[in-house]
Amino acid sequence: MAHAHPVKRYTGLMDWLTTVDHKKIGILYLIAGGFFFLIGGLEALLIRVQLWKPLNNFVSADTYNELITMHGTTMIFLAAMPIIFAMMNAIVPLQIGARDVAFPFVNALGFWTFFFGGLLLNISWIAGAVPDAGWTSYLPLASPTYSTDKGVDYYVLGLQIAGIGTLVGGINFLVTIINMRAPGMSFMRMPMFTWSAFITSALILFAFPALTVGLVALMFDRLFSANFFEVSGGGNTVLWEHIFWIFGHPEVYILILPAFGIISEVIATFSRKRLFGYSSMVFATVLIGFLGFMVWAHHMFTVGLGPVANALFSIATMLIAVPTGIKIFNWIFTMWGGSIKFTAANLFAVGFVPTFVMGGVTGVMLAAAPADFQYHDSYFVVAHFHYVIVGGLVLGLFAGLHYWWPKMFGRMLGEGLGKLTFWTFFIGFHLTFFVQHFLGLLGMPRRVYTYLDGLGFNNMNLISTIGAFLMGVGTIIFIINIIVTSAKPKTAGNDPWEDGRTLEWAIPSPAPEYNFVQTPLVRGYDALWKEKMDGNEGMSPAEPIGPIHMPSPSILPFVMSLGLFIAGFGFMYANNDWQAGFFKDLFASHAVAGAGLLITLSCMVIRSLKDDHGFHIEPEELTNKGVKA
Amino acid sequence: MSAHSHLDGQLPHEPERATLEGRNKVLGFWLFLGGETVLFGTLFSAFLALRDQVGDGNPSGQELFKLMTVAIATVILLTSSLTSVFAIQAMHRNQVKAMQGWLILTVLLGLAFLGLEIYEFYEYVHEGHKFSTSAFSSSFYTLVGFHGAHVLFGIVWISLLIAQVARKGLNVVTAPKVYVAGMYWHFIDVVWVFIFTVVYLMGKVA
Amino acid sequence: MAANHTTHSEEPAKRHKHEGPRKHVVAYIFSMLLTLVAFATVMGGEINASFTYILLLVMAALQVVIQMGFWMHMKDRGHLFPIIGILTGVFVVFTIVIMAEYWTWW
Repeated sequence: MAHAHPVKRYTGLMDWLTTVDHKKIGILYLIAGGFFFLIGGLEALLIRVQLWKPLNNFVSADTYNELITMHGTTMIFLAAMPIIFAMMNAIVPLQIGARDVAFPFVNALGFWTFFFGGLLLNISWIAGAVPDAGWTSYLPLASPTYSTDKGVDYYVLGLQIAGIGTLVGGINFLVTIINMRAPGMSFMRMPMFTWSAFITSALILFAFPALTVGLVALMFDRLFSANFFEVSGGGNTVLWEHIFWIFGHPEVYILILPAFGIISEVIATFSRKRLFGYSSMVFATVLIGFLGFMVWAHHMFTVGLGPVANALFSIATMLIAVPTGIKIFNWIFTMWGGSIKFTAANLFAVGFVPTFVMGGVTGVMLAAAPADFQYHDSYFVVAHFHYVIVGGLVLGLFAGLHYWWPKMFGRMLGEGLGKLTFWTFFIGFHLTFFVQHFLGLLGMPRRVYTYLDGLGFNNMNLISTIGAFLMGVGTIIFIINIIVTSAKPKTAGNDPWEDGRTLEWAIPSPAPEYNFVQTPLVRGYDALWKEKMDGNEGMSPAEPIGPIHMPSPSILPFVMSLGLFIAGFGFMYANNDWQAGFFKDLFASHAVAGAGLLITLSCMVIRSLKDDHGFHIEPEELTNKGVKA
Repeated sequence: MSAHSHLDGQLPHEPERATLEGRNKVLGFWLFLGGETVLFGTLFSAFLALRDQVGDGNPSGQELFKLMTVAIATVILLTSSLTSVFAIQAMHRNQVKAMQGWLILTVLLGLAFLGLEIYEFYEYVHEGHKFSTSAFSSSFYTLVGFHGAHVLFGIVWISLLIAQVARKGLNVVTAPKVYVAGMYWHFIDVVWVFIFTVVYLMGKVA
Repeated sequence: MAANHTTHSEEPAKRHKHEGPRKHVVAYIFSMLLTLVAFATVMGGEINASFTYILLLVMAALQVVIQMGFWMHMKDRGHLFPIIGILTGVFVVFTIVIMAEYWTWW
């Protein structure tokens, strides 16, 4: 019966295009996110080259606007979030003892929509009309009156499509964590990274729809002459700011919470101690997620919302320092008295703690509304959010990548190169952004393409540029490390760090496609560590060995996302000033947009009508593969 | 956990929850509706912020709205909610024909609602209330139109499900799909309750 | 397989007992009455506007209870996460509505 529906299994490229395996999707997220990270990094370096001396004319003012816009948008939506999803895909199901995510098909769909959305956004460079209204795309600058080319359209449609992918990905992880935990894995036994993935997914679920509406409204304004933000038609530009930040502030917690989770895992493992204050960590994570929805207007203190609003949002923002402080102290107390191993992963984690504290402190400074009137729109703000996003999130991602690399690929990253990555990146980072605090206090405005001589900005900008290149060197060393490592044999054992505490270290590296031969029985927090302490060889199983049901691979997610990509182009170029002829007929009649949507909808119908019976892996195959590792 | 053991023969009680896949689908859809709540909430907020921005010489909501049409549409949609409840109840009793009948009735009511809405929009456009007339008109058509698009999507979805159940019968794979479509239909109704309350009735009072 | 708390453990006696239509017909009649009162209040006119607003919102809230509580089975067992999900959504919407009402024009 299990073989009643033989499933075609692909190899090579088709395997990657059709995969629904969360571990492979994790790798796809990592590759695509890493690629966009390099593009965003290149844009950052160009910005720093332009600013290295006063009145530089390396790039024009217009190009500079495009660079800052695309740098921010790319780094947030196309680099940071996908790499977070890479880690969540690679690790969360393993940490909760699940064979798969709740919706493998939707998981693949999430990846491909993100990918095509990111592609659409970046094709703007080739099309010659690049988004240039800032990553926040404030109105009226982004309105059809002031952004006349298609740049902002690329922003709107690219983010809209990528946003769909993120939203379904978030729902997938919520259901996975709620429904798919192994027996005994209660909520209060879940590893911190899984907890942070859970809360992050919840924030995605409730924040992204607001962005969707904002982008729809902006799209309608730009493409169909609506008046949401068009002041001459009665619209309101502040409305965009509100909607954007109602999404945008939860978004920064979407970014940072997974880093908190990674740091908690890495520090506990390499301190060889149980995470200090686990339940307070969980409480702090939930509280940060909750408060994250009530602070958006601290981005808008200077708009003039009035003293009541400013005071409310000021206090709510400062409140967030409390759960964050709880976390910082917990990490320090976890290290306290531990026998700490300074592996590359742990260096990143330990480096994270003081760096993030600095970003947090400037955050509280900015939260004081009267003071914010001075800091607003200056390099002080730039320094602050790079301290929390690069010094927080990116260091956390590097820690996680070094830590989980063997679990994802079966090979240990080189420790020597890893430590070199840390020191170059870490020193480069502080060189780049520490001085920017003072540049901001001296009055250097952000988003301006150059500055005059004699204002005292010169030396600090030069230092900042040198630091940026050092970060670039660190990134290149990391890539060299990956290449060197990938040439080595897959020798990583189940628990290559020997101090693994959580379930993912109980299975081979890389994990087989079904993850667990037998679903494990979880007997406490730090499930594997508990078994180790009780003198047991690995986890005790919760079920006998039996055939394992697997979902079948499918090309539909790819085609569905391709359809959205085509539709995006169709909408964008419908009211282009085409010369009369074939293309005008094609686009102006919305035929291209309609065809794209039709492809997507047809795929949905096919998916619904065609039952996915999947296939079974039989016990004999399992024991063969299981022994090998 | 095998989906196959239930495929033929006696359906379990609440077939939509008989498999892990089914339970995942129902929970995932609930959470999706949580996200949809924010989506519509943001659309409502945009409308609330812009509803007084009518512009000189353009008709206001107070002048435009014909409450009789809206009331009829409301009764139709609320009735379709009841028929979809009956469809799910028939599903729980494993009465496939009855379930399909109730679903067909639901779709027909949905079509009637949609027809009324299109007629209403047509009238408004003729009274000078176009999509690009004012901030009020843009936010009005976007909010109500998003709801209408949801109704249209639901009609297509449920129609396809009727055909699918006719071909494959009711089993633990199709039952969660029908159940989830029912949830979707109720949610659309909830959104409509707020549209007729906030947009039409409050718009008439203002 | 998973740590879920669902309906499998129901006693066999309850298994084949299906709820009848009557409860839902009653709910439907209530829903219709609420609609009638809401429309009648506005169509009748001549009532204080802010009172009408509150009345209308209460009616809408009751409609939601009927739809989501009874027809979407939210009141039944095993709906903890759906309730959390919807209520969180409602909470976020609440903040957005406050934004729209108080912080867009001044």
